[in-house]
Parts: sequence; structure tokens; C-alpha cells
Amino acid sequence: MDHQLLHIFRNTPVGRETLLQSIYFCKKVGASPVIYVPKSTKFLMYFENDVVQIDLDSSYLTAPETAVAHATELVEAGGLNVAFLEPKHYTASTLPDIPTTFDYMCCPRSVSDLTSKIGLGYIGPRVRRIVRSARFPVLITSSVFKPWKSIAVFFGGSANAINALRLGFQISRVSGMPLDVFTQVENSSPESYRQVVKDENLEEEMDRYVNDWHFFENKVFEENLYDVPHDAIVVLGAFGHGVIRNFVFGSKMEKIQSTLSNSLLIAGPNYTSIH
Amino acid sequence: MRVLKLWRYPTNWAIFRLDDRLLLILMAIIVGNCSGVASVILNRSLLAMSGWLHHFRSHWWVFVLPAIGAALSCLFLEKIVKEGAGHGVPEVIYSVSRYGGLLRFRSSFSRLISSCLTIGTGGSAGPEAPVVISGAAIGSNIAKYFSLNDRQRVTLVGCGAAGAISSIFNAPIAGMVFAIEVIVGEWKSVNIVPIAIASVAGTEISRILQGNQIPFGHHLFKIDLLNVFACLGLAVLAAAASILLTRMLRSMHTISHKVSGPLWLRAAIGGCAVGIIGLFLPVVLGEGYHAVEALIGGRYSQGLVFVALASFAKIAATALTLGWGGSGGIFAPCLVIGSLVGVTYHHFLSVIWSSALWANEGYYALLGMAGLISGMLQAPLTGIFLIIEITGGYEVILPLILVSAVTTTLCHYIEPASYYLKDLVEHGHLLRPGTDARVLSDLNVPELIERDCIIVKQNMLLRDFIHIVQKSHRNYFPVADDKTGNFLGIIHLDDIRPYLFNPVMYDAVFLGQIMNTRVEVVHPNDDLLEVLRKMDVKGLFSMPVVMNNRFVGLISKATILDQYRKELMVQTSH
Repeated sequence: MDHQLLHIFRNTPVGRETLLQSIYFCKKVGASPVIYVPKSTKFLMYFENDVVQIDLDSSYLTAPETAVAHATELVEAGGLNVAFLEPKHYTASTLPDIPTTFDYMCCPRSVSDLTSKIGLGYIGPRVRRIVRSARFPVLITSSVFKPWKSIAVFFGGSANAINALRLGFQISRVSGMPLDVFTQVENSSPESYRQVVKDENLEEEMDRYVNDWHFFENKVFEENLYDVPHDAIVVLGAFGHGVIRNFVFGSKMEKIQSTLSNSLLIAGPNYTSIH
Repeated sequence: MRVLKLWRYPTNWAIFRLDDRLLLILMAIIVGNCSGVASVILNRSLLAMSGWLHHFRSHWWVFVLPAIGAALSCLFLEKIVKEGAGHGVPEVIYSVSRYGGLLRFRSSFSRLISSCLTIGTGGSAGPEAPVVISGAAIGSNIAKYFSLNDRQRVTLVGCGAAGAISSIFNAPIAGMVFAIEVIVGEWKSVNIVPIAIASVAGTEISRILQGNQIPFGHHLFKIDLLNVFACLGLAVLAAAASILLTRMLRSMHTISHKVSGPLWLRAAIGGCAVGIIGLFLPVVLGEGYHAVEALIGGRYSQGLVFVALASFAKIAATALTLGWGGSGGIFAPCLVIGSLVGVTYHHFLSVIWSSALWANEGYYALLGMAGLISGMLQAPLTGIFLIIEITGGYEVILPLILVSAVTTTLCHYIEPASYYLKDLVEHGHLLRPGTDARVLSDLNVPELIERDCIIVKQNMLLRDFIHIVQKSHRNYFPVADDKTGNFLGIIHLDDIRPYLFNPVMYDAVFLGQIMNTRVEVVHPNDDLLEVLRKMDVKGLFSMPVVMNNRFVGLISKATILDQYRKELMVQTSH
């Protein structure tokens, strides 16, 4: 239970849904939530090779006098110990540095836009920067809290997909939830994907944790996504390819996030698995 | 695609794998050129803006111009680029100290625009700090783009600062010295060579785009021993002016924060006050290089009282501009105040001892400038080389060294940290390479936790515990609650020694009875410096790490020392 999840608390009904997702996730994976109640709309996150300034939507500062009480109430009701993050370092007096040494982070689809803009198909620029730079996976929550009952890992054979698969195994191991793997077959046979798994010495884990490996033969990826359980947390890798390749061929992550309303657990290109 | 990937990772190129200093030199040229261009852009923009606003100078309402400029500058920083930071140099030093020189991309242009608005409309500030942060941010982001490591990134941040200062003053040595003395804080060849090359690149770009000329005209001064000794008095005066400026800047900042209202309004109030001062003493407006030129050339004809008043006014105007939210740096104001203080001192000497053969007032203006720069920055070499290069006055080198050394010493005695470093030192954020604090800052509790501890239960009998001790190599045993698993206390081998030779007690004593419950614990997020302080105060060699009432592991002095040495070797191996 020494894994920690960073949650930026928004003291609004939308923020409550996000915190409920974090609490549920923590309970399932055995992590402790660390809650940051922002006092200003800006903060910095220094990653290994990037510094990301998060410009929060002003709703994050709603009713600061009740924020701590609301967060405490929700976390304690979830049977977890509440811990609040107090920034120790400041780049400027109104610009706190938030540590990046957590094991998970929870974000809604956007932290810098009005909540009315948040919807399917949109992940805010700051959340994308965090996913790109972070060593931890980012939990992007659905708009309303819904307990997930299984894990759906999208596996396309890339290095990032391998990371996502390992992350899926880990979540399945600690939560005891069934895991399904989904693969869109593109210009190759299902065997080639199995070979990738074999090359990575993941066969044993595949046998142990994976319930079913679904291969989508239908070329229209979005149509295949209907097969993904509505109550699964979707684990996937992101930003593994360059901008040009994504521009030409499109990105699976974009298609998934714009089609599925499930909570997403995204492993970025700098993700390093935790043990 | 593979070519593109290779391009992004030059450290993998065969030529740079041989010696990464070659890579740094190549990058230094790029960074020096970019920061040089940034400096030229700001310089040209300021010239254009002052030319454009010159027509309005005759109007009675001209005093509102600095207010408008400061307010726009503040709005730009707050609302458009959302900077949320100060005038820049401390931010650069902070990032070098704590985060391997990581700077935001927006910082590479934001201060150029905001300072142009502040200074161009008459605010009393200088363009040097903005170009330093721009250059440093350019260096940092180029390092980031090419995936260079922390150490290389810090060097490129220094290259950016050096290129910027070199370009704006056409002073390569001053740029290099400033970057190493103030920004990087480490005199090592691994830094010096790329920074020197970036200085050359920045200067060359400036010379190509703006011509090769020293900012202030060169003047010959007749200096005898009397004038050399007299500079000691000027050093004291310069130190006093430096301290006054430092404290006024800080107090204005504090006062402005007490004023309720948006930031742009505060900046406008400060700007308006500067504008009003400028109506009576135009020397306080803008960066003030024309005034410095006149003071060095001996063309500033005002008397003692007026020049002294102008010195105070410039100090007040700078504090009002920067302390109330305007954007800019303190380099140029220091030059103006220093030259005014120098001329004041010259006039004072002439009044009290008129028969002595005093050197030209320009000589004292030069020395005053060096004194103020050295006093404010507490960087004597920067002060000396800057003044020599921007005035071409090598013949004043001896008194210049004297004034810089004395001013720095006096200022350091009264204010132990320079203006740039004061806040960082107060908050423990100044972590120069190779120092104890820097080494410890790169270590954290989770990576030092020893997890191979055997957790025992409070209801365990001593007999069972002795069996565990026989198999274990540790002296400390954490005790957890049977039901909840919560951490209750710890048992050291010494705690069971009284019972060891009395077998009767083996089945009579439970661990819950002999464990030590008043234990100092560590949280994984605690600062290592704080953990070590606790260990020193309590005379402890190991402490349990506890999170959410659960025992996570032990942290010991031996492990800390071991990792400390490894980290020190990594940090000082170049």
C-alpha cells in the first residue's frame, strides 16, 4: 500500500465525480490518494526532461473554505486515509512545484478548460503534456463515476503497447479484476501480435491474467470499439509515435478516447512500470 | 522516420559518442546565436518604441505612459502567457539549482515582450534580465528538444545567459563571467568552454546585426594615487546605494502586495509614480543609457545636490517599477545609479577638497557603475569585466577591482545574499553544484528505504522472536498490530538483552510489552535534510519509514552515506 495517486481536487460536483473515480481506483489497486487542493490556478510539474505548467480552470478554486472538508469526507467514506499535498517548493510565489514522484495521477479530460467543454474526443493540452512527460500512468476519468468491473487493454504491438499490457497485468494482479486484451489487426496476422508477446516473455502473464484476447478484423476501428465492455477501465499506451506518423495514419489513442466513454488509464512514452 | 529520430538524439551520433564536449560546443553555437538574436530583437524593439513614443513626451499627460506600459506588461504576463513569475534571473538560478535547468518554453519570449512594454514606455528597468531568461529558456528548450541530460542542459542554460548578455552589451567576457559566476555557479572547463563559445556567438550576432561598437564611448582618465585611494570612499557609497536599492525593491514588493486590486492596477500605480518622478527628473525614465553616456563623458552639468537627488530618484523609480509589478531587470538601473553615485561622490570631493587634482567625473561614474553591479549581484568579476568592456576603459582596471572587491565585501557583510539570491537562500533553494544541500536534494527517502525487515506482531512471545532474530541480520524489528497491520513500535536488539539470559522470561514476555512505542518516524515524502537533522538531534542511526500507519521500511545513516557518496561522485565526475 505504498503506491500513491496524485489527485488535483476540484470542489465542484464534477470534481466530486473525479475524486470518486480516484478513490475507487485507489481501493482497487491498493494505492493511497494524495490530494492537492490548489490555492492558485497555476502550478508547475518538473518531469525528467520537461517542465509542464498547469493552468487550471478557475473552477478549481471554487469555495476553498469547504474544499478540504469535502475531499476528506469523500476519501474517508471510501475507507481510505486522506493525505493532502502541501507544496514545499515554489518557482515563484504564486507558482508552486508539484512533485512528480507519484505512481499514478488522476485527471479529468481537461484541467485548463471550462468543464462545459469537456466531452468525448477532447483531451486538454495540459493533460496531454502530463501523459507525454510522466513516468506514471494517468487515469483520465469518465465524466460520471461508474465502478469498473474489468480491465480492457488495447495492444497494438508497439513498445508503448507492451508497457500498457504490463500495466494491465499489474492492475489485474492487485485488483483481481478480469482482463481482456483488444487488438486491431492491421496489415498482419494475429500470430504476429502473439509473436511480439512471446518475444517480450509475456506469455506466462498472458496465460495467467488474460481472460480473452479479441482480435478486431473489421477495418473500421471505431465500430469494433462497441465490443469493449462499458464497465471496464481501458488501459492503453499513447504518444508512442511521432507527430508525422500520427498525422498521416491517425492515432489509435485519439480514436479510442473520442469513442469510448470509459475511464482510461494511459501509459505515456516515458512511463516506467512500478513493481 | 529513423533519420528524424536520429536527429532528435544527437548524443547517439558516432562523433558525439567519442566526446560529448563536442556536442555541447555545437549546441553552444546554436544557443548563443539564438539568444543573441533575442537580445537584438529586444534592443531594436526598445529603440523603435522610444522613437514612436518620443512625440508624446511634450504632453502634460506623459506621466501616464509608464503606467500604461507597466499595466499592459502585467496583463500580458498574467493573462496571455500566464507566466506567474518574477523578473527572471532568480527563476533561472532556481531551475539550475533544483531541476537541472528546466525552463518553460514561454519564458523564451514572454519577458522580451513584457519588458519592452515596461521599459519602452518609460519604466525604470533594464532589458538585461529579460534577455537572460529568454536566452536561458532557449538553451533549456534546445537541450530538452535534443534530449540532453541535466548537466548538459544546465550548461546550455548558462550558454543562453552568456550569449544574451554578450549580445546586448557587445561584451563577450562579461557575458561569460556572468553566466558562470551568477547563473551556473561552477567554474569547470566542462561549463567554461561551451559558455565562452556561446558568448562569442552572441557577440558576433550582435555585431553583424547592430555593428561593432562599445555601448558607451571610451574616455581617457588621468589617474594618480590620490584618485585610486579616493575610490575606497566611493566603494562605501556604492555599497550603501546597493543596500538601499535592494531593500527598497523588497519593501516596495511587500507594500504593493498589501494593496488590494488586480496586479495590473498595482503595476499601473507604480508606473504612474515613476512617470510623475520623470516629469521632474527625466533621467529616471527608461533604461537610462543616454544618461550614463553623458555622465561618463562629463557632460552631466548638474550640481552636487541635483545629482544626489537624481540618484535617490532613480533608486525609488526602479523600486516602484519592479516592486509594483513592472517587468525588467536591474542591470541598467544599476549602471545609471552607479554612475550618478560616482558623479555625486566626485562633486562631493570637489567641494570638500577643491584644491586637489581629482580625475574627471567620468572616472568616478565608471567606478560607481562597477560598484553597484558588484554590490547588487555580489559578483565582482561580472562588475569588473562588464565595465571594462562596455566602456573600453582598461586603464581604470586597478581602482575598478578595488571598488568591486570592497563593495562586494561590504554588501555581503550587510546582506549575505545578493538581490538575485536572497529569496532563494531564504527558502533553501540555492543549491550550488557539489554542495551538501545539492547532493541531498537529488536523493529522496523512497530510494533509500531498506525493505528487507522482518515485521513482528505485538502478541508474539519472546521465544518465537528469538528464533526470528537468529535468522535475521538486522538489529531493528518493526512491530505491527495483529489485526490492522498498523505500525505500533520498534524493537532493537538492546531491548531484549535483559531477558536473553533468563529463559524463564521467554514464554512470559510479549513483544508488545517491550517494544519502543515512542519512535520518531519518517514519511516517504519527507526531505532527506530534515530526516538527517532528526537523526542528528536524537542520536539515531536508523528510523522507520511509515505511511498510512503502515511500516514501509527502514532508513539508516549508513545507507544515506553510501548513496551520498555515489551521488557526489556523479555530480563531480566531470
